Amino acid sequence: MVSLAALCVVLPERFAFGEKELRWPTLAEVIGTEEAYPRPLPEEEGSITSPDTIAPSPDTLPSLRGRTEERLIIPKITVDSATDSRLFLRAFYASLADAGTKKIRVVHYGDSQIEEDRMTQQIRETLQAAYGGSGVGLVPLAQTIPSLTVRQELFLSGRFVSPQNGPKRYLVYGPKRDQRTDGLYGPMGQMAYMSDSLVKGSETVKAICQPLQPNMHYDRFRLFADTSVHYTTSRDTMFLSGRGGVYGLSQESKTGIIVDNIPMRGCMGIVFTKMDSTQLSTFYSEENVRLIIMQFGGNAIPSNKNPGTIQAIVKGLRQQVQYLRRCAPEASILFIGPSDMLTQIDGEWTTYPMVPYMDKLLRKMALEENIAYFSLYRWMGGSGSMMKWQEVGLAGSDGVHFTRAGARKAGKAVAEWMMEGNE
Amino acid sequence: MSDFWQHILGFNAESPLLFTQFYFWAFFALVYALFALLMSVGKTTNSKLHLRNVYLMFVSWFFYYKTSGLFLLILAFVTLSDWFIAQRIRAKIERKWAPRLWLTLSVVIDLSILFYFKYAYFFTNVINDWFGADFRVFDIFAYIGNGFSEAGRFDVDTIILPVGISFYTFQVISYTCDVFRRKIEPVKNILDFGFYVSFFPQLVAGPIVRAEEFIPQLYKPFRLSRRAFGIAVFWILNGLAKKIIMSDYLAVNLIDRVFDNPLLFSGFENLFALFAYSLQVYADFSGYTDIAIGVAMLMGFYLPMNFNSPYKSKNPQEFWRRWHMSLGRWLKSYLYIPLGGNRTILGFKAPKLWAANFNSFITQVLGGLWHGASWNFVLWGAINGVGMIVEKIWREWNWHVRFAAISALTFGLVLLDYFYNLPVWRLFAVWAAIIWFGTAIRYIYWLITADKIINHKFEILNNKIANAWAILQTFAFITFTRLFFRSSSNLDPATANEVAWATAKNMVNQIGGAWSNAIIPDFLWEYRWVVAMFIAGMVIHWIPTNFKRRYRLWFSAMPLWLMVIVVCLAIVVIYQFVSAEMQPFIYFQF
Repeated sequence: MVSLAALCVVLPERFAFGEKELRWPTLAEVIGTEEAYPRPLPEEEGSITSPDTIAPSPDTLPSLRGRTEERLIIPKITVDSATDSRLFLRAFYASLADAGTKKIRVVHYGDSQIEEDRMTQQIRETLQAAYGGSGVGLVPLAQTIPSLTVRQELFLSGRFVSPQNGPKRYLVYGPKRDQRTDGLYGPMGQMAYMSDSLVKGSETVKAICQPLQPNMHYDRFRLFADTSVHYTTSRDTMFLSGRGGVYGLSQESKTGIIVDNIPMRGCMGIVFTKMDSTQLSTFYSEENVRLIIMQFGGNAIPSNKNPGTIQAIVKGLRQQVQYLRRCAPEASILFIGPSDMLTQIDGEWTTYPMVPYMDKLLRKMALEENIAYFSLYRWMGGSGSMMKWQEVGLAGSDGVHFTRAGARKAGKAVAEWMMEGNE
Repeated sequence: MSDFWQHILGFNAESPLLFTQFYFWAFFALVYALFALLMSVGKTTNSKLHLRNVYLMFVSWFFYYKTSGLFLLILAFVTLSDWFIAQRIRAKIERKWAPRLWLTLSVVIDLSILFYFKYAYFFTNVINDWFGADFRVFDIFAYIGNGFSEAGRFDVDTIILPVGISFYTFQVISYTCDVFRRKIEPVKNILDFGFYVSFFPQLVAGPIVRAEEFIPQLYKPFRLSRRAFGIAVFWILNGLAKKIIMSDYLAVNLIDRVFDNPLLFSGFENLFALFAYSLQVYADFSGYTDIAIGVAMLMGFYLPMNFNSPYKSKNPQEFWRRWHMSLGRWLKSYLYIPLGGNRTILGFKAPKLWAANFNSFITQVLGGLWHGASWNFVLWGAINGVGMIVEKIWREWNWHVRFAAISALTFGLVLLDYFYNLPVWRLFAVWAAIIWFGTAIRYIYWLITADKIINHKFEILNNKIANAWAILQTFAFITFTRLFFRSSSNLDPATANEVAWATAKNMVNQIGGAWSNAIIPDFLWEYRWVVAMFIAGMVIHWIPTNFKRRYRLWFSAMPLWLMVIVVCLAIVVIYQFVSAEMQPFIYFQF
């Protein structure tokens, strides 16, 4: 013990060993009088009102163990926190008046936080309860991630096939081998291809799509595919024949709100510009898409520790927003920022230093682009709130993903926030 | 200042006293300094030994208070009740049935406490499910603590599981049973007995020290040879390295995230995480008991070995003799044998094999429930029980029957996979095919070599390969059972069970349905440190016991100055893992 204490005094906090940097705690840290890693700066609530470009004057996160040479420089940004960004949902709110006679579509794109139809289902339930409408909306032909709202199975020549053994899938957010060069991914950013190697002769592909939730009943079971693919339906089953791309199946009501859950695993959200604009425009306009929800940012956090990279990513997201607006001029856009996310720094669980920064940058970008912004991070309670969520079973031990209960809570909060904006 | 003392002396539920914290080592350094002073002054007399025991008991009580707060009262209660009952068991009285009655009372009291605090939610849930009732747990002790009121300092709607209760209740049961069986004499002094029940190194996570193993040590003088000192330090370092490097690092950087969200990862990643989890559970638990053994040894007490390289086992039965050995021995002595052992089933005489299998299955199921109060642990125990029985039956068969049985099983599973193409059938079919492959080779070898004289060296090589194969198969089976071993909550068994079941189902679906060979090289590269840790862990685990013993002795015989340097270096290395940056999330599967 004495020798180890002596090491705390003698050894520097960080020292080089070959190319590696080793760490060793200070005595104060060991006996608990100094936090191993300070928490990020508290939120700057309500004091800043003028949206402006990123100010050059540097703000700093509390130093890494107080060493000036290791300071993490975070540019200071001013964010208009007084403006209620829901004013940019006015067009969407206005369109809801027609929900009794028309179909109004909401498309929810997001990363793994919305997989399994999590969060989206709460938004769907809330909107459909208020304005009518039902059905799960768009689902891919081969569902690789089981959903909580609909059970999907695929049969080839009468034999059950797992999604991995089904049609070849192309994903705009996937690795290179799964991407297309023509950008024809459809509105879900993914396409399943019915090829000769998959279906022989006049064989059919049988896709079962069975609703699992009370609000999942539907009037129409539709197919979005190349014209060379044909289909018939019988109850919850669709029979597909022919060759070509399948962009999605949809179970929906004739009127009211339809909400599509479109998760893009591992995606930072900078993929829409790779999707064919004509195809997107056609879908958004023909399907009367009046709200596009983009929920991204979390995947940028773990591997980007530099404010400059975060700025570049937000710039990329801004381009996506602009692109989607061009494709869907009638639609309002809501951006949902990343949740609080935890990492271990020097053995202590703490919020990724870039989360609050990215959250502010995104809000700033949203206001400048006239789109609504919901800060999951702030709504959860800011820095370290994920730990509290973990304690009550709302977040997983990875400190990144919500549990189902957590996703329900977050989805409900977003839905209620949207509804309040229309009051 | 009062905050400082509150931090040092007070109970904080969010900061229990763990072996991996600095606080524990500062606490131990202080305790040991006073202990050493006590042991070095004057001659060893009975009263000095008694003073040592009393000192360590109060130190242990403080340790438990820091860990569990007012639950210390339960520990005090079982100490008092079992001390008193043990005296009564051996009291000179005429009635022959009295000792048995006292023993029954002791077991009932101890198990009631365990059931109340550990299984109240489970049984409430079972009753509600089976009879459509809507009972809720009500903490009577909280009610009393509030002055017979539902409102107050304590929450009456929640029963919190006191730390270590599963361990010390089993320990006191072993005491009264051993006194009843006349294996030991009752401890006369209640403070000596209190020390046995509460000895802090093993209080919260074992090993479960049986009375007959520990009580005699209460009266032995302190002795710590230079070599024993070195070995104790080795166990402590070994335990810390296992816990922090093997267990925590693997958990945080891969296992937790996969188990939390199996669907985010490919089949290969899920399978890798499952195997890594097997290593993690071992490293975590055995690391903790290694530290306990080392700390106790420094104070001159010898705790029983708790893990003997369990993943070297060649069959499930052997595994249970090497894994959590103190629990295995406890269950054998105080559950399996009273159930009838290999003689009776429910009190009726039965063929040896039947009785042994039946009673060991019941023991495994109840042992499963001991690990956690939800159905998934019962299932986990049952799978282990079935695995053990199947393997025992397999061993009885000759090679013709073995080959026919595994061929039929494999064929059946392949057919199921072909017609139903469900991931679970794919997983079992592949697994059966691997076993079939190994069996086929051994079958052919047996056919060729039966009744022939084999070159001795060749036979040795063959046995080695067969052993390695058996070890890998046992490891795979035990790893499979781990699917049901992870639980999220102690309070709500329904949630715990649902989460465990969903996790197991999703992992099987991924392993059997979303394997994805293409991502394996990417995964191995991106997670290279995690993979390296896993491989290193398994290689170290599989190092021959003699070799391990040799380097342990080598370490213990080091000059003190060298040992200090090695310890400091080891701690610096371990700290690198504590403070290592997290492996970022990479989604290989889309």
